[in-house]
Order: sequence, then C-alpha cells, then structure tokens
Amino acid sequence: MSTPAILILLTLGLPWLGAVVVWAVGDRTEKISHTLAVIFAVLAAVAGLGLLLQTGPESVQLADLGGVFGPISFTPDGLGVFLAVVATFIGSLAVIFSVNYMHGEKQLSRYYAYMLFFIGAMVGLVLTSNMLLMFFFWEITALCSYALISFNSDDPKAVAGGVKALIMTQIGGIGLLLGALALYIYTGQMDFNVLLANPDVVHVKLLPVMAYGFLVAAAAKSAQFPFQTWLPDAMEAPTPISALIHAATMVNAGVYLLARFYPAFHEVPGWTLAVMLVGLVTALLAALMAAVANDLKRVLAYSTVSQLGYMVYAVGSGGIFASQFHLLSHSVFKALLFLAAGAVIHAVGTRNMRQMGGLGKQMPFTRVVFIIGALALAGIPVLNGFWSKELILEVGLKFAPWSYVLMVIGAGLTAFYTYRMVSMVFYGESHSHAHGDAGLAMKIALAPLALGALTTWLLAGPFAKLLSTETTLPYHGIEAASTFHILEEVISLPTLIALVVVVLGLLGWVFRSKLSGLGRALRGLGWAADNSFGFEAINRGIVRGISSAAEGLRVTQTGLLNWNVVGIVAGLLIVIAIIALGA
Amino acid sequence: MEIIWYVLAAAGALACAILAISAKRLLVSAIWLAGCSALVALLMYLLGAPEIAVIELSVGAGLVTVLFVFAINIAGDESTALPVPLPKPIPWVLVIGLIALIGWLVIAQLSDGALAGQGSDNFYVALWSQRYLDVLLQVAIIFAGVLGMMGLLAEGKKRHVEETPGSDEEKA
Amino acid sequence: MNIYIPHIILGVAFLLLGVGVYALLATRNLIKVIVALQIMVKGAMLALVLAGRETSQPGLGQTLALTVIVADTIVAVIGLTLAVQIRRRFGSLDVKDLTRLKR
Repeated sequence: MSTPAILILLTLGLPWLGAVVVWAVGDRTEKISHTLAVIFAVLAAVAGLGLLLQTGPESVQLADLGGVFGPISFTPDGLGVFLAVVATFIGSLAVIFSVNYMHGEKQLSRYYAYMLFFIGAMVGLVLTSNMLLMFFFWEITALCSYALISFNSDDPKAVAGGVKALIMTQIGGIGLLLGALALYIYTGQMDFNVLLANPDVVHVKLLPVMAYGFLVAAAAKSAQFPFQTWLPDAMEAPTPISALIHAATMVNAGVYLLARFYPAFHEVPGWTLAVMLVGLVTALLAALMAAVANDLKRVLAYSTVSQLGYMVYAVGSGGIFASQFHLLSHSVFKALLFLAAGAVIHAVGTRNMRQMGGLGKQMPFTRVVFIIGALALAGIPVLNGFWSKELILEVGLKFAPWSYVLMVIGAGLTAFYTYRMVSMVFYGESHSHAHGDAGLAMKIALAPLALGALTTWLLAGPFAKLLSTETTLPYHGIEAASTFHILEEVISLPTLIALVVVVLGLLGWVFRSKLSGLGRALRGLGWAADNSFGFEAINRGIVRGISSAAEGLRVTQTGLLNWNVVGIVAGLLIVIAIIALGA
Repeated sequence: MEIIWYVLAAAGALACAILAISAKRLLVSAIWLAGCSALVALLMYLLGAPEIAVIELSVGAGLVTVLFVFAINIAGDESTALPVPLPKPIPWVLVIGLIALIGWLVIAQLSDGALAGQGSDNFYVALWSQRYLDVLLQVAIIFAGVLGMMGLLAEGKKRHVEETPGSDEEKA
Repeated sequence: MNIYIPHIILGVAFLLLGVGVYALLATRNLIKVIVALQIMVKGAMLALVLAGRETSQPGLGQTLALTVIVADTIVAVIGLTLAVQIRRRFGSLDVKDLTRLKR
C-alpha cells in the first residue's frame, strides 16, 4: 500500500482503535483512561501531520464494495488534509486538557471513547471522496456530538441541549443523502470529483435542488441562520468538548461542505448570493447576541456562530482561500478561548460572568493566553485573526460593496463584545475566588494554541500552495502565492477603515458609561437579542405542536401484538398496491 | 408427467403448514412444521437445487424442531384454544388482499413457458467467491445470535456485577 | 391457460406466505408466532430458488436461500430464548397478558 494510503488509514484508524480500547478497558482506573486517550490522540495527530507531506490530487482506494456503495476512496488533497490536521491536532490538545478538567469524573471511558470516535469520524469526513461515505461520517459526528453534549445525563438541560443539536443537524443530513443519491442516479457512481469537474452531469433541474439542499445542510451543521439556536444550548457540554466540537471541528464541517462543492454549484442562479446573505445575517445577529449575553460560554458560542458567518460569507463571495485561512485562524484562537474559559470555569465554579471579575491577579497564565485569543478574535494587527478577517473583508468588498459596510460594523461589534468579555472576567472587582491557576495539563494544551494564534498567519504562503490548483485542488481555482504577496494585499485602504471601526468598538466598551444615552436608545435591540430574535419562541412552538400531535396518536398503542402486526401488514399492502398501480 | 410430484409436494407442504398453525398442542405444531420443512426440501430438490435441499432438511426439519422441543419443554405445553383477539374479518381481508395483489403482480408477468433449463452456475463457486461478503455476514449473524442468547439467558448474574464497581470506588 | 411448474411453485410460495401472515395476525401464543415466521420464510426460500433456476443462475439462488436460512434460524433461536424468558418473568405466553407497552 502506498504511503498516503497508510497514513490515511493511520489518521482515521488510530482514533477509532483508541476509542474501542478505551471503552473496553472500562472505568477501573482513572489514570489508565487518561493515559490511553492521550496516547492515541497524539499518535493520530502525528499521523495527520505526516499526511501533510503526502498531499496529492489522486485518490486512494482502500476497498471496493461494489454496487451502489462504490469504492472506499479517500483523497489527500489540501482542503481535506488541512482540516484533518486541525481535527487531530486540536483534538489531541483537547484530550490533554481533559486530563485536568475531567479529573475525578465518573464514566471517563465513555467520554474518551466518544471523543476519539468523533475525531476519527471528522478525519474521515474531510478526506473521503465518496459521497455516501461522507454522509456516513457526517452522521457519526452528529451522533458523537449528541452523546458528548448530554454526557452529564443526569442534568435535564444537558440532555435537552443534546437532543436539540441532534435534531437540527439531522435535517441537514437528509439533504446530504439526497445529493449523494442524485449523483449516483445521473453518473452511476459516488465519487464527487466527477461532479466538481463537470456540474452538468446532473440534470439541470436537479442541480439547484442539490445546491440549496447542501446549503441547508451546511447551515444546520454550522449553526447558521436560521439554525443558530442549537449551538448556545450545546454549551452544557464539558468545556473541552465545546472546544473540540463546537469551535474547531464539527461546525467546520458545514463550511468545508460549501467550500468543497463551490465549483459545482457556483453557477446555480442565486446560490452564491444566498450563501453570502446567510453568512452576513448570521455574523451580525450572532454578534449582537454575544454582546448582551452573560454566560461566558454563551458569548463564545455566539462568537463562534458569528465568525462562521464570516467564513460562509467569504465562500459566497468567491474567496475560498480567504474562508479557509480564516477557518485555520479561527480554529486555533477559538479553541484557545474555549479551553482558557474552561480553566476559568473549572477554577471558579460558575459560568456567569457577573459573578467573575478581578481574576487576572489570581490566574495570571490564563489571563495572558485568554487575552492573546481575544486580540486574535477582535482582529488586532499582528495576530492571525487580523490577517484572515481582513482578507475576507477585501473579498467581500470586491463582490458586493454594500455588504462590506455591514461586515465592518460586525467587526466593530466583535471587538466590543470581546473587550467586554475580557474586562468582565479578568478585571474590575472580584466577585468570587479562583481555586488557583490552570493545572499543568491545561497549560500544556493552552501554550501551543497561544503560540499558534501569534504565528499561523506566517504560513499563508505554504497554505495557499497546499490548496492551489497545481498541487492538489484541480477545480477550485486557487493560485499559489508567497506569504508576503498575500499579506501585502491586506495592507490597503479598506483594511485601515476596518481597523478604525475595530478601535471604535473597543473604545465603545471603555467609555460605556459616557455612551449610556446610546445604550438606552438601543435597549430595544438588546432585549430582542437577549431573546435570540424570536427563534427560541419558534422552536418551542414547534416542539409543542409535535408533542400534541404525538399525544393524539397514543390511541394506536394498544400493546397487543396482533394489532401491531395488522399495522405492518396494512402498510405492506399499501406499498404493494402503489407498486401495482405503477406497473 | 412429473408435474404430479410437484403438485403433491406442494399440496403436502401447504397442508402441513395449515395443520401446524391450527394444532392445539405446541408439540404437535412443531412436528407438523418439521413435516412442512421436509416437503419444502423435496420441492427444492425437484427444482434442481440439491445442496440447499439438504441444508434445509437438516436445519429446518432437524435443528429448528429440536429447538422448539427444547423451548416447549421449558416453557410449558399449554393448549391454545382461546378466541382470536382481533375482530374476525380483519385477518382474512388482509391476507386475501395481500396474496391477491402479490399474485397478480408476479404471476401475471411471468413468461408463459415451462420451467427453464438447468443453469450453468456452480453453487460452490457462487457461494465462496461471488458472495463471500454474504458468508462473512452470516458468520457475524451467528456470532450475534450466540451472544444474544447467552445474554438473554444470563439471569441473576447482573446484580452481582453491578456491586463490585461500587465497592471499588469506596476504596479509591 | 396452462398450469406450469413455475406457477405451482410460486403459488405455493405465496400461499405459505399467506398462511404465515394469517397465523401472525390470529394467534395468541408466542411460540406459534415463531412457527408462523418459519412458515413464511419457507415460502420466501422457494421463490428464491425458483428465481435462480429461471434466470439460469441456480448457484446464486441457492446462496441467497442459504443466507435466508441462517438468518431465519438465528431469529428462531433468539425468539425462543425470549419466549422462555418471558414465561419465566411473566408466567404466561399469552399475548393478551403481555401488554405492558400500552400507553
């Protein structure tokens, strides 16, 4: 077997093997669970990094299932490998962090098994070129996400959050399956590179259905408008899970899907505009909601949704490279922020920011790394968030100048809520006492991420080469360029305007008492943001409607075997009657 | 002329089946089921599939019957002359509707010819090389069945296992 | 219309299916349910073997029938084990007494 095939098998198989081993070892000793999980996660990360050197546009086939399923094929191209490296690397850091965070918890074997299972499934999702396999991995990530969000199954809020996440992301899964089947009907096989090379193979009336269906799938998975309500409720998960799933990997799957299929769908009328609008609306709405939230993890969750909105906006505007570059920066600094927040929450025992404050003196290391992440999020120069966000703004400016104005306002809002978050947690009067700074394992996980936030922008050139047309992605039209060349594009007038707005956002929080007049005027907006603009109410209405319909159908549950069989046979009869009518 | 064997075997199988479900005692039911299996095996042999006929005979008329006798002995052999819990016409309507529909769909489209000639396919080749995935799946199913049976028959052991982790945590 | 062998075989297969379904609908004893399932499966097997013969692929037809036999035997095993356990826990094999899933 060739080297790429071996590496792919290792990167995908090691986490899964680790999941089985950790689950089989059980809950006997806590230390064994921690050690095994860390070993397997780190090995997978090493394999993933090795894969970076072996990228290429040809696909690797592991086995042939024949018939509809087609060959189990993986393509180690730039887009897939980069996301696989993000998944395994940040995944291993989250596992290392969990050694401290989950110290003393019960049922660690279930926790680590699901975590490793998830990491493997994510790697498979981004590397495969068989659409049915992609759907299969998509569903596995949804399952693991549900299991991990509702890990504390005694807490009804956690279970409710998990169920909500599962239902909303499953809607997207249906769209993906329909797309796979459509591809098979028209081309006889499941390899989507065929579709990317020539979108016309699919019937002209079916292609828009596929395109919009995939947009719905991606929006549901990445918590974009109108599906944004599941992500904040998923914050009941343990914080390393939030860092892994809801910052660095699963929510990236939606953006990945859009970026991967962009060459096939960008000619569909109205699609790019729809994508851009979804990203724009999400970015602004979520930024507003983050500015009024008081739960530390909720602010970060809304911030994730908002930044994903920026990435989706970039894809819609045609800047695939900009969106993936921001995805890289965002994964790093958002995971950093979540893990640092986890350290704070672990030390203080609450998630409510109004009960924190003045923690800077008690937790100096955490304060430093958190501020680094916050600066990257706000888009302050030199950190990686600045370069990638400005690239996105430039692309947006070229595509639709009116949207550029709105996105710049969004950047200002981002700076506002970021500074609000930092000052409420680390400065000001102290409302509670922290049980010491972050533990050793936590520091080991946080340090590389902080370093990354300061430096990943230097990799812009090699990153572009990885994604470019010559080396790995034949259909996306990305050109390789040196780091200097890319960064030079950013330094221009629109960037200066954006910087000014960002500084205005920062100052807005500093001088908030002086701006109280403005605050009162915007209070209505704040109240609407707090109630997530009515989407929660819609959700509750839908759930109530379904529950009452289910109550009405209770009468069919007689419990008698014979009635159940009557139901089965009657259904069979109807199906055969339909077939007979069609014959 | 050989069609008479087919008719006899077919009628016999049907009769055994009807007797099996309408028997009052469960043991008698199992015996009639064995008879039905044997006649179906005969039919399959007549159709030119001797390998599967042998397997069906040994499994259907042998293994399954032994299983039934085991289970009936453990579970008790009560008579079942109780009234049907559903309103009388429903089973008849459904069954006749089902058979009529399927029959019309399939038989009406069957080519009018007599039985086709013997094919050229070898059973062993078909089983081991073309459908090897099926064989693997069958092994998996058998494993699952054995595990399931062992799990279902393990009673009283469960409470024991749950106590030991509890005492472990108290020591730690 | 002449009656040919395929018609007879298919007729028997469908009638066996019908007998099995009727028994499923009209029986009150759990073990009779397993018997009914076995009868239905025999009908299916006959149809498979006939199909193999008609398309001149008798080996394939038999292979599929073998898979069906294995699966169905395991179903019988698990079903009978369940019936035995139910008899132990609930004391009765009558369907009318086993309505705990009623809501």
